[in-house]
Amino acid sequence: MAKSKEKNVARANYPKLYDHDPLADVEPELRARISEMETYIMKNCLWQFNSRGWDRRKQNAGILGKTAQLLVGEVVDNPTPLDKCHWVDAVLLARNFKERCLWLADLGADEIRSIIEKLHARIDWLTIDGSLNEELTVQNY
Amino acid sequence: MPYHEFEVSKCIPERKMHAVVKGPGEDLTHALPKGYLNTIPGTISERGCAYCGAKHVIGTPMKDVIHLSHGPVGCTYDTWQTKRYISDNNNFQLKYTFASDVKEKHIVFGAEKLLKQNILEAFDAFPDIKRMTIYQTCATALIGDDMSAIAEEVMAERPEVDIFVCNSPGFGGPSQSGGHHKINIAWLNQKVGTVEPDITSDYVINYVGEYNIQGDQEVMLDFFRRMGIQVLSTFTGNSTYDSLRSMHRAHLNVLECARSAEYLCDELRVRYGIPRLDIDGFGHKALGDSLRKIGLFFGIEDRAEAIIAEETARWKPELDWYKERLQGKKVCLWPGGSKLWHWAHAIQEEMGVKVVSVYTKFGHQGDMEKGVSRCGEGALAIDDPNELENQEAMLTLKPDVIFTGKRPGEVAKKMRVPYLNAHAYHNGPYKGFEGWVRFARDIYNAVYSPMHQLSAIDISKDDYETGKGFVTRRMLSDAGLPEEAKASPLTGYTGKFDPIPDLRQKTYPAFERRVAPAVAE
Ligand code: SF4
Repeated sequence: MAKSKEKNVARANYPKLYDHDPLADVEPELRARISEMETYIMKNCLWQFNSRGWDRRKQNAGILGKTAQLLVGEVVDNPTPLDKCHWVDAVLLARNFKERCLWLADLGADEIRSIIEKLHARIDWLTIDGSLNEELTVQNY
Repeated sequence: MPYHEFEVSKCIPERKMHAVVKGPGEDLTHALPKGYLNTIPGTISERGCAYCGAKHVIGTPMKDVIHLSHGPVGCTYDTWQTKRYISDNNNFQLKYTFASDVKEKHIVFGAEKLLKQNILEAFDAFPDIKRMTIYQTCATALIGDDMSAIAEEVMAERPEVDIFVCNSPGFGGPSQSGGHHKINIAWLNQKVGTVEPDITSDYVINYVGEYNIQGDQEVMLDFFRRMGIQVLSTFTGNSTYDSLRSMHRAHLNVLECARSAEYLCDELRVRYGIPRLDIDGFGHKALGDSLRKIGLFFGIEDRAEAIIAEETARWKPELDWYKERLQGKKVCLWPGGSKLWHWAHAIQEEMGVKVVSVYTKFGHQGDMEKGVSRCGEGALAIDDPNELENQEAMLTLKPDVIFTGKRPGEVAKKMRVPYLNAHAYHNGPYKGFEGWVRFARDIYNAVYSPMHQLSAIDISKDDYETGKGFVTRRMLSDAGLPEEAKASPLTGYTGKFDPIPDLRQKTYPAFERRVAPAVAE
């Protein structure tokens, strides 16, 4: 593994995706379901809270992307150690969702993908785009 | 923003932005206090300095090292009596503390010669110890002493020794957290990659942000060893200096206290491609999930499940015994940094208490994001509080117990609020399945001990009835319980007074390796 001390100062310029709560207009029943998942993540998980915004973006996409794949029964590919790391958090998350959100069993693959997509948007809003944390854009670790 | 203004801090308006109460329907985008900012003039902070954060939190738990402060002797106060990061080499790092004892004349004429003389004397006094860390303090930083040059000189004269230089004087940041940051990056730049380790397992981790408070690290290492995992280094509790030089060879960084050590993990990821996995060693569910994740990463989840099943069967009933008796007890969770989020959810779920307030002395907004998320609505979250604010919070929230450090803890005791030491613990370790029950036991005793009521009596003046005051567990915590619970033969914790000596005697099964060891990395 190469040792590099280079700092990527441009990484703090990760694009903003949302300027308001992306679930503001979602109908109440669906909103309640997403809230169940959101609450589980916010109370039990740590992966969404890496210290910098660009890392949070990667974590949320990596873990929630793989969680959706696991929930719909797709094979998950983990070519790098970082992928594998996202996958282990996704496995735990998918298991806990299945155990707690019993309504998931009645949904088809497209519906599951769509609900996790909305959850992803909401977690991005809470932890990145709508976050009040002023250290997310600090350029170094 | 649902800021909370303390009556006592009305004269310091800036303080308002450092306390919030999350209201109904609010989330992190509505409620988050400011954090990791310079302490506001006029408020007396409980924070430590950046030197203290670097040395007394992170550097000194390394066990086979002379830890030398370059500065006045007062800076190095924290030692045997005040810190509890024990080690399995007879606590060398706690028993001996070293300072160059800088005086006025050195401030005028320079203290580099003095430093060199101290380094040599310390190595001569402890000829078995060949590793040293030296720490800059305010005075020696201001006079511009070049500690690195002196360290290089000594290492050239004595090739068998190795010295790490930490440039984190007291003023190097708003709080001890500035020192955590500096020593993380300094260690990485100076020392990681300078020793090649022996790899003895297919599964190799660094355990990062763990300081072996009352044996926490040894409890966790026991689980990892039972899973056949090689722990290359622990940053830094109970760890050797040289093992921490070989961190670059791990397959995975398992991160416990992200507040004090995430910088290192993030840089190890960028520079060496080692992924970072955040875990929680506190709480049965969180710890179980943490072991599962590490097991999954290496394809040995069955080994994790076996441990979880065994430990849960042994300790869960005793945890539940306390949970039944601690229902609804109000807690102020007021630690330094990471424990506000490590504990907030787990104690509510698994011990039945209610967290009415969280605070952090040196945490960043990221810690508050985790803490505020893990508390319920209505909890008062305070950043960098002062003593008067704490008193006001205790008077209004009326907690049954607070978890905090020694200094605010003494204030709480005077106000007849029981306190548990959140940094060094009362009767730890608190990590692990058993440790979590020990914590529950300490909370139970803090909440119910008749000592607190008795201590309110001034026996020289007050007239009190000598026939009263004798109370038992059944009268205190069991009075309102259902008959079935009262009749249960179970009691609380049944483990040993100190579980660590047994762990040090343990042997572990050898697991067959799946991958043939490489001849050379
Ligand atoms: S603030 Fe400076 S002088 Fe005071 S203890 Fe810290 S390093 Fe020493």
